[in-house]
Amino acid sequence: MDAAQAQLERENVDASAPEPLLIARDISKSFGHVQALSNAYVDVRAGEIVALVGDNGAGKSTLIKTLSGAHRPDAGEIIVRGRSVTINNPNDSFDLGIATVYQDLALLPSRDVVANLYVGRELTNRGLLDRRKMTEEANRVVRQLRTNLPSVHTPVRFLSGGQRQAVAIARVVHFGAEILLLDEPTAALGVKESHEMLSLIENLKEQNKGIIVVSHNLAHVFRICDRITVLRHGQTVGTLIKEDTDSTEVVRLITGADLL
Amino acid sequence: MAASADKVKASEDAPAAESRLRRLLMQREVQLLLVLVVFTLLVRAGGAKGFLGPTHFPIFLSQVAPDMLVVIPMAMLLIGGMFDLSVTGVANLSVVLVGWTFSRLIGQIDDTLLILLVVAIGLTAGLIVGAINGLAVTRLRMNPLMTTLATWWMAQGAATGVAGGESRHNFVGAFRDIARHQPLQGLGETFPFLQEMRISTLPLPVFYALIVIFLGWLVLTRTRFGWHIFATGSDRQGAALNGVNVNRVTLIGFIATGIAAAMCGIVWASRLTSAPPNTLGGLELRVIAAAVIGGAALTGGEGSVLGAVLGLFFMHMIRSATIQLGLPVYWEFFVLGAVLFTAVAFDAWTKRRADTQ
Repeated sequence: MDAAQAQLERENVDASAPEPLLIARDISKSFGHVQALSNAYVDVRAGEIVALVGDNGAGKSTLIKTLSGAHRPDAGEIIVRGRSVTINNPNDSFDLGIATVYQDLALLPSRDVVANLYVGRELTNRGLLDRRKMTEEANRVVRQLRTNLPSVHTPVRFLSGGQRQAVAIARVVHFGAEILLLDEPTAALGVKESHEMLSLIENLKEQNKGIIVVSHNLAHVFRICDRITVLRHGQTVGTLIKEDTDSTEVVRLITGADLL
Repeated sequence: MAASADKVKASEDAPAAESRLRRLLMQREVQLLLVLVVFTLLVRAGGAKGFLGPTHFPIFLSQVAPDMLVVIPMAMLLIGGMFDLSVTGVANLSVVLVGWTFSRLIGQIDDTLLILLVVAIGLTAGLIVGAINGLAVTRLRMNPLMTTLATWWMAQGAATGVAGGESRHNFVGAFRDIARHQPLQGLGETFPFLQEMRISTLPLPVFYALIVIFLGWLVLTRTRFGWHIFATGSDRQGAALNGVNVNRVTLIGFIATGIAAAMCGIVWASRLTSAPPNTLGGLELRVIAAAVIGGAALTGGEGSVLGAVLGLFFMHMIRSATIQLGLPVYWEFFVLGAVLFTAVAFDAWTKRRADTQ
């Protein structure tokens, strides 16, 4: 068995499956003396949901942030659609079709839904903002996601947690991202809103997006994910296929308890 | 069938129209405008019949104009989540540099060239202090309150230092035109109604102010940079994560405010044809208070150019009314403070109410 084959085996990847949209391999990152990531690995295919799980401080958010361009990795390789790439800032990531919905959502509370959808990528017409087009598009996107918002001109701080989440995801979908990174999408939501959010994520999968979800909630993970990548102390300790595993095994991998 | 559909539509429209009116009344600018109208009527009823009348209004506008140059960029800075205390120091520094340059070079070079040089030096002083403020806050991560307090004192100290206890008066005559020229005078001769309305006697600073107001409004509401200012003030980190260059927004905001403060100083030097280092007092609090009364949030992300304009009008109307009603001027600051207190309290109350809904 050659090295490549061994790698595939280790990551639980079916060699006949289509090439992953995104592979992040051997990613390392330290902040001062703290080694946040060392040899982290994750990959995702089109139409697939991969969960990224691990204890607090295992490096889940840091890994997401290296993919979204918020952090630059110290070492490692990121391959998007078979091509090795460098992501230096959020715009690089965006240009590669990678979009991130952060845990704290990175929404602007005092701004309306339109401004939030377009922040950093505002539409212009002859140098001036094309406000009418942005409003029309925002209305279309909101309808498409079947979320009920009072109006696209409502400041985000007046929206509920689930509505805010939907705005954050609408932003991502609207800009045609193929790879979605969702950081704790259900952490701040109630039961009903969580289920709406999970359905929304499954919708995105049907639209053939590759989705990486960071989550603490194993019930949610098992409901929507295809594969589960476990991080511990900044390292990828394994990737499990949902059908082959259960939450006990995942918890053991997360905590580092003996598998036997 | 169609009739009943229309009926349904009509009954749906009624509450929609009502909520539109409610929304309109929730706008800070509309509320403030109503307050200004009521205030004007009260002052007139109180005895100052000519208050903001055809004779008073043009004079009032030319008194407000120099402050207006500063309140617009200050409001934009506040919307971007920053503020600048150094404007008074910067304005006085540019006044003194104007006087100093005139006294050194008058008669030695061509008058027009000298005026251009004087204006350029004044504005450069504003640009430099603004750039120092901006770089200190963005690159060195210094606190904006303390940074601009320090640069305020430094600029004011430099102003008194350069002046050396003197107020210079040796100006080129044509320099007065910067504050006193009336560009519509000629039009007034052709169209008598402009003369009657006293529009033709409006001096240049009113037009500088109009240009600054228009540019401020255009940038803030119609350009990407304007939305980036709002984004930066609303959530600096969130904006940065979405690719907004927040440091650039802050740096440009401070530089614009610095240059505007210097412009204000140049207008005053031209108006007074003298250059004392204490020409302006309290400019910083006047414009910050005006912007806040106009709806700019000290926490950033909210505010408007129109609000800042109306807020500054209010500040100056109170001052004017105190004089015209013959009230003791010593109480002016008490009234200004009370108005600011009320505005901030009202703000907090509406926010509390919105949060509990």
